Amino acid sequence: MIFFTTETPAWIVAPVVLPLIAGLFCFLFSHRTFSIALIAALLNFLAVCFLTRQLILFGPMHCHMGGWQPPLGITLRTDGPAVLMLLMTAVTGLGITLYARGYFSHRMVTPVRSDRHRQQQRYFWPLWMLLLAGLNGLFLSNDIFNLYVTLEIVGISAASLAALSGKPASLLASFRYLLVSLLGSLTYLLGVVFLYRSCGVLDLDLVQNLAGDGVEVRAALALLSVGLMLKTALVPLHFWLPPAHANALAPISVILSALVVKGSFYLLFRFWFEVFASIVTSSALNFMGTLGAIAILWGAIQAIRQHRLKLMVAYSTISQLGYLFIAFPLARVAGNAQLWSIVIFMALAHAFAKSAMFMAAGSVYLHLGHDRIKDISGVRSSLPITVFAYGIAGVSLMGLPPSGAFIAKWMLLSSSLASAQWWWALVVMSGSLLAMIYVFRVMSRFFVIPAGLPPDTTEPLSPLMEWPSLVLALISLFLGLLAPWPLLILAEGSTSLAQVFPGGMP
Amino acid sequence: MKTGKVIMGQTRNRHKRLDWIQRLFLLLVLCLTTLLGVILCSSPETAPGLADAVAHLQGRSGVESPVTAVLLNFRGYDTLLEVMVLLLAVIGAWSLTKAPLPDQITDISPVQLGVVRLLVPVMCLVAAYLVWQGSHLAGGAFQGGAIIGAAGVLLLVSELPWLRDIPPLPLRIGLVLGPLVFVGTALFCLLWTGNLLGYPEGAGGWLILLIEAACALSIGLTLALLFAGGRPENELVKADKQTDFPCNRESL
Repeated sequence: MIFFTTETPAWIVAPVVLPLIAGLFCFLFSHRTFSIALIAALLNFLAVCFLTRQLILFGPMHCHMGGWQPPLGITLRTDGPAVLMLLMTAVTGLGITLYARGYFSHRMVTPVRSDRHRQQQRYFWPLWMLLLAGLNGLFLSNDIFNLYVTLEIVGISAASLAALSGKPASLLASFRYLLVSLLGSLTYLLGVVFLYRSCGVLDLDLVQNLAGDGVEVRAALALLSVGLMLKTALVPLHFWLPPAHANALAPISVILSALVVKGSFYLLFRFWFEVFASIVTSSALNFMGTLGAIAILWGAIQAIRQHRLKLMVAYSTISQLGYLFIAFPLARVAGNAQLWSIVIFMALAHAFAKSAMFMAAGSVYLHLGHDRIKDISGVRSSLPITVFAYGIAGVSLMGLPPSGAFIAKWMLLSSSLASAQWWWALVVMSGSLLAMIYVFRVMSRFFVIPAGLPPDTTEPLSPLMEWPSLVLALISLFLGLLAPWPLLILAEGSTSLAQVFPGGMP
Repeated sequence: MKTGKVIMGQTRNRHKRLDWIQRLFLLLVLCLTTLLGVILCSSPETAPGLADAVAHLQGRSGVESPVTAVLLNFRGYDTLLEVMVLLLAVIGAWSLTKAPLPDQITDISPVQLGVVRLLVPVMCLVAAYLVWQGSHLAGGAFQGGAIIGAAGVLLLVSELPWLRDIPPLPLRIGLVLGPLVFVGTALFCLLWTGNLLGYPEGAGGWLILLIEAACALSIGLTLALLFAGGRPENELVKADKQTDFPCNRESL
């Protein structure tokens, strides 16, 4: 027998194995599935906290699966960015689990189509737990083929979840999502084939050392990037996202929008700035930045034009994902460490704010029975907590202080001005302005109480449907005040972190 | 009449435009394929790959077949997740719809019935043999599972009446068995040797056979159930009791 201490690297498998087992049990048993899922989400959170502590105490950890060393075996590793993404997933996942409980028990009360609601709840829990396991595996894996398998788990469970609502629109959208996701996976796999052919290894550290400047490696990087961009929904490959996210059930929209797109983005970023950093050219970086800028403006304008709340929030996801890509062309000035902190802050802030916003939108939908923006007046009086959560999440999306997005945008602005690329700064600022328009457009409706509004007779929403969104919104708001702490974790990950804020702390 | 013409004209127009876009995409795909082909041909020297490393460590893996050694020992973690992907496919299919099994009992031709009666047991035997053979030759859980799946498909296309009455719980147990045994073995190895799926010295062969047998069953069931195309009839009935009271509440 082996004794496990704090230093044992084998703890790293916990965030993958725990939700995996929970997913199997949720499928096997037809009762108490929520308890299983909640326990797994809690244990997952504790395990991630433990890994964070381990990282701070002992630095990055490597765990070889089955004891086989890298060229042959698969390695899982923790470092700063991976642990922060795990934390983001664990906290949001806990909120989603609680919210989904409230959501499904509220919907079971209505006798209309209770068959369908039972079916949705029955299959939501196993799919969600397996998706969580896949995401955690994706953040931890250090093997390019194993990453493909985790992408596959995430893609298939996400598409099944998106189809769960059963409406024709969502079936169509999720089928398209499945096809796009498969196309992305296969493109990625083709990239892996090219890479294996030229390097002969699959471990990311070894690939980083062996990948030369050959045309084959460049083709591999292009294929990997296109596959991941398709999954991340970077403009112009975003066409599948709004219908799939907006037509899904509320807890599932949260999962898809806050977590799933982050997984593929994280990989893309890791490839561009760690594994293949030596062959990435300035023009490629500028190209990605341009796509990001188009995404920010196009997504925000589309969000302003929408008539339905959930579609507006989905388009805002496209816009917010653009900020992650606009960090790319600033790499030459900012240096890897600051780039990581910009991107991680942006991703964390967006995950918390967007999950809060989609939860609020879902609660409003459930309360009113529709989400037409022009008819949502007066929700403030019946759902005060939800409206408050929506407002705070909106503040975070706009990037006002002290939210985490403010820190990220500040770093973006200062490094783009420092490198004399002022046009990126312009895009960031106009994106925030547009975000303000689409957030306030809905917010103002919430507060208008029409004169002839009938008294509220609908069933009150359970607290589980209101409080998780508020807590997540508050986390995203105060992320800016907690900034030094995530930066400390990030600094643990890389030894080359000389200075984090060349532009000065805001 | 006039509107009909207009609509027809519109559809024809749309059809034409779609064709044009399709042609453009076809051209782009052809260009891309050519480009990739040129890249592949222009760099003939290939890396040695990992075959040597596998051959070198074969003796320590507990099995003689290099494919099985890679699948279940060296990269067992990959296979663990792949098995989950298969399970996910079934859960996804079950979440969408019920299996469209025919309502009426149709007449099955005696020839077909005889063939099914003869073939299904033989196929199960072949599957078991393939799983066992996986330790030293080509074979293993996926091949054995494919045969079991084919046997299931044979039963399904014969539309045997008792297939409708299989309760869902045994099906779920069968589906989860492989993944659960796999995870369980992995955790056992984790406690025993400190590595996930790091088989104890000497026990590798047996544990791999155990995992493969359980996975073959689950994979076969997965394939057959995917062919059936949905969840069993009474999969959700049990949950009825839970929701009795809300309906009453609504009627009050």
